Amino acid sequence: MRLFRLTFATILQRKAWAICAFAIAVLPFLMPLISSATEKPILTQPARIQAAWALLWTCTLVWGLFTAAKQGETNARSGLGEYFQTTGLTVTRQLFEIWLAVFSFILPFTLLAAAVCMFGAMPKDPSEQGMWWIMNFQYMVLFLLVTSPLLALSIALASRFGGITGFAITLGLSLYGLYGVGYLDNMLKLEENPILQGIWLYSPQYRFADLTQRLYFKAGALSSATFWQLCLYFVGIIDIYSGLSRLSFRTKIIN
Amino acid sequence: MQLVPSTPSIHIEEGFGIGYGSPLATCGGATTLTAGTHFLLARNGRGKTTLLRTIARSLKPTSGAFKATGFLQYLPEDLCFDPEITPDMIFKMLIPRARFQEAAALARDIELDVKKSYGKLSTGNRRKTSLIMAEFSIRPDQGNILLLDEPFSGLDAFARQAFEEIWRKSSSNVLRLVSCHPDYDSMRMPSVLLIEGKHITHHSSQEQTWSSLKNLLN
Repeated sequence: MRLFRLTFATILQRKAWAICAFAIAVLPFLMPLISSATEKPILTQPARIQAAWALLWTCTLVWGLFTAAKQGETNARSGLGEYFQTTGLTVTRQLFEIWLAVFSFILPFTLLAAAVCMFGAMPKDPSEQGMWWIMNFQYMVLFLLVTSPLLALSIALASRFGGITGFAITLGLSLYGLYGVGYLDNMLKLEENPILQGIWLYSPQYRFADLTQRLYFKAGALSSATFWQLCLYFVGIIDIYSGLSRLSFRTKIIN
Repeated sequence: MQLVPSTPSIHIEEGFGIGYGSPLATCGGATTLTAGTHFLLARNGRGKTTLLRTIARSLKPTSGAFKATGFLQYLPEDLCFDPEITPDMIFKMLIPRARFQEAAALARDIELDVKKSYGKLSTGNRRKTSLIMAEFSIRPDQGNILLLDEPFSGLDAFARQAFEEIWRKSSSNVLRLVSCHPDYDSMRMPSVLLIEGKHITHHSSQEQTWSSLKNLLN
């Protein structure tokens, strides 16, 4: 795990992760103070929920994908990828170790956002508290299932096409899956179009992994069947993205 | 239990060719290199890096075959680390814990500031960092092959001497193939892989010096 250790230490040394940790852990408590929640205390907890998860999405999609892309590009350009490959570290293993290093930062961020939600916005009603645990757990799982393959794809695309490309493509894909497909869905409800319908059908429906509104309105946990169905759907996307990542990842640039 | 060979070797078969698509150079006769230091000499653009990369299995040979036995490390000339990370962290992350103190001691001896960020190090000190990382990553319980591309570029004479001393001490289980441009005529080179024109040849003699070999380069 030498490449994992080196990549982890490099990201740790750059210290930008501290800004994300601060944003996710502290801002959900500060931001409601500058919103209308100060006038209506009942809004404080929903505001905290929204801030915690929105900041997690923002940090992961901006910092996480950028860091993944930077590491993928650096590994190929610096000669490190080639060095590790000659020591017997396969291409797949290198992709995995870089991904694991970035994921090692995203996982605690996710736990932190869930903890803020659990301990800073827990409903007072005991009957709702059990549901709160389940809902936050479901959100965490779905969030990680969505973002993990995007990190791998960002690393892989950056190693082949450069950091900007890797970052821009995966960020665009994430935003499209979170918001774009929703707009497309609305358009299709107004007017049928077989081409758009086809695009919509094969689009990653990341919006289903965003349970912020569900938490916000205390709409209750997803039913077990729906949750597993969503997990299966996102595992399918993981399979596709893993294959694409493996195919596009490279450890060196041959001039 | 599988026995791990403790003697490293590189066997290059006759007809082994290197290059990117079209052959750059070909080996005229079979050659075997064993533990110890072997120099790789050629003029610029003749294929020193290509040969090292081919033996490192980073490139495919254009023809023929070779066999490398041992734990292999290829240290590219342009290898670099993140500018924010320090040599101390690089060593902690990449060198086995048992050898870390030894590496830190060498870094002190050759005046490498391990607390300074990599981006602020001079070319020579960056080179020292890579070399220490590779030298202390060798596996003492098995044969090792170290392919070093221009390891001395930017290195001061004192540091160079320190590394040559390490090479002497570990010559029994480490095969080093070192590409370089020698800078003094009396430099002893008992074993040399030479790329002359389009031919790769092996020259070995205890009396061989750079002075006697440089006329062969064209």
